Amino acid sequence: MDRAARILKALATGPPRSGVSELAERLGLAKTTVHGLLRTLERQDLVEQDAETGKYRLGPEMLELGNAFLDHHELRGRSLLWADTLANRVGEAVRVGVLHGRRVLIVHHVFRPDDSVQILEVGASVPWHVSALGKVHAAALPNDRRRTLLAGALPQLTGRTIIDPHVLAVALEEIGVAGFATEDQEAVIGEAEIAAAVFDHRGHPVGAIGVAGPAERVTPAGPSEAIVAAVQDTARRLSWEMGAPRRHAVAARRPRVDAG
Amino acid sequence: MSANQRIRGASAPCDAAFVTRWLRGCAAQIAAHRDYLTQLDAAVGDADHGVNLDRGFVAVGSVLEAADGLPPGELLVQAGSTLVLRVGGAAGPLYGTAFREAGRCLGTARTFGVAHLTEALEAALQGVTALGAAVEGDKTMVDAWLPAIRALRDQAGAALPDALHAATVAAEAGAAATTAMEARKGRASYLGPRSVGHQDPGATSTALLFLALERAAG
Repeated sequence: MDRAARILKALATGPPRSGVSELAERLGLAKTTVHGLLRTLERQDLVEQDAETGKYRLGPEMLELGNAFLDHHELRGRSLLWADTLANRVGEAVRVGVLHGRRVLIVHHVFRPDDSVQILEVGASVPWHVSALGKVHAAALPNDRRRTLLAGALPQLTGRTIIDPHVLAVALEEIGVAGFATEDQEAVIGEAEIAAAVFDHRGHPVGAIGVAGPAERVTPAGPSEAIVAAVQDTARRLSWEMGAPRRHAVAARRPRVDAG
Repeated sequence: MSANQRIRGASAPCDAAFVTRWLRGCAAQIAAHRDYLTQLDAAVGDADHGVNLDRGFVAVGSVLEAADGLPPGELLVQAGSTLVLRVGGAAGPLYGTAFREAGRCLGTARTFGVAHLTEALEAALQGVTALGAAVEGDKTMVDAWLPAIRALRDQAGAALPDALHAATVAAEAGAAATTAMEARKGRASYLGPRSVGHQDPGATSTALLFLALERAAG
């Protein structure tokens, strides 16, 4: 099982197509072992073999599994309507993310409500420290988990990325007090995000919801007050739906769904 | 006039008309390759690179109309400020900074030679790297800028058209080389290994701007 999982992860993170020997070498396994596992995975449609090159790639069943993960994700499910309402309220894109290891996995993304071309980021992941979603989630974690995050690699994505763990530790303290995080061109130049954490019935952070858009609108001179208010309001109501205690939540009626 | 400026002025074929030709040439190259740049961006980013840059350089054209008599450095500063405002995304701040830094480096000089132009382009690249923190091999516009500037340095003492031709060739080769790279900066880095196999749109547009520079001299 472990070796099969490693093959799937190697196919997901390596070149789009890999041959048996490439995979065997990468994973330090015997070619016959890799070949046998690939045949089993192929029967389950988890991988498929390219007819021309004989190389392997991920199969269609992986998408089904990914979709099932998203469908069963409680925060994502509960955030669908709230994210739409928030996007309409502030006129910007909304993203919902959860910390997964050292990265934030985007589990829901509502486009900015205009007719511009936008790329769906559901399924994408970004380093936790370059994302308002990741920073605000991290700020709400117990000290030991926060220290682990701060102790690992902090890659620099732009000139504004915070890569000094001490500076980042102070920023997390401030985020914890403020109840929201701002990311100003720390992941992508020209783009900014404001996010607040969502909590479950035990009062533990389960992820975050945030508004992302051009820096000149989201962080014109510091974080936009209107966006901060809307994000925090949404996060508290969403936390209420997740059963969070009152210090994290505000009783909420489900947002009304506009026709069309 | 300082000794330095006299040396730069000794072979000083560049003036405001040269910079105007360059900027108009940039607009023409971007307009001609708008859809191509947008296609490249669709593979790794937001699918707006060509459209956004085109909008920005059209606006630079209007600024040039009203900029009669300005020194070349000031023309570049104004072009840069226009790009920041009108392009948006990451390309606006990056190219805007590049042109502004190049303009500041030229200062109030009315004419300048290859050496001063090289310095100005180095200042432009420094502005880009300060903002983006990208290094060579990250699959960004830096992969076209750096080889171009290295080529210009290697051509120190050469005639302007020859130096700029070498820079263009180097920028184009640099842009082509991004195809095999994995993006480590910008939105394309979200894709990780899936960004391999696509030429970087920013490096591609940078090569076009160097081509426009070469044509402005020739």
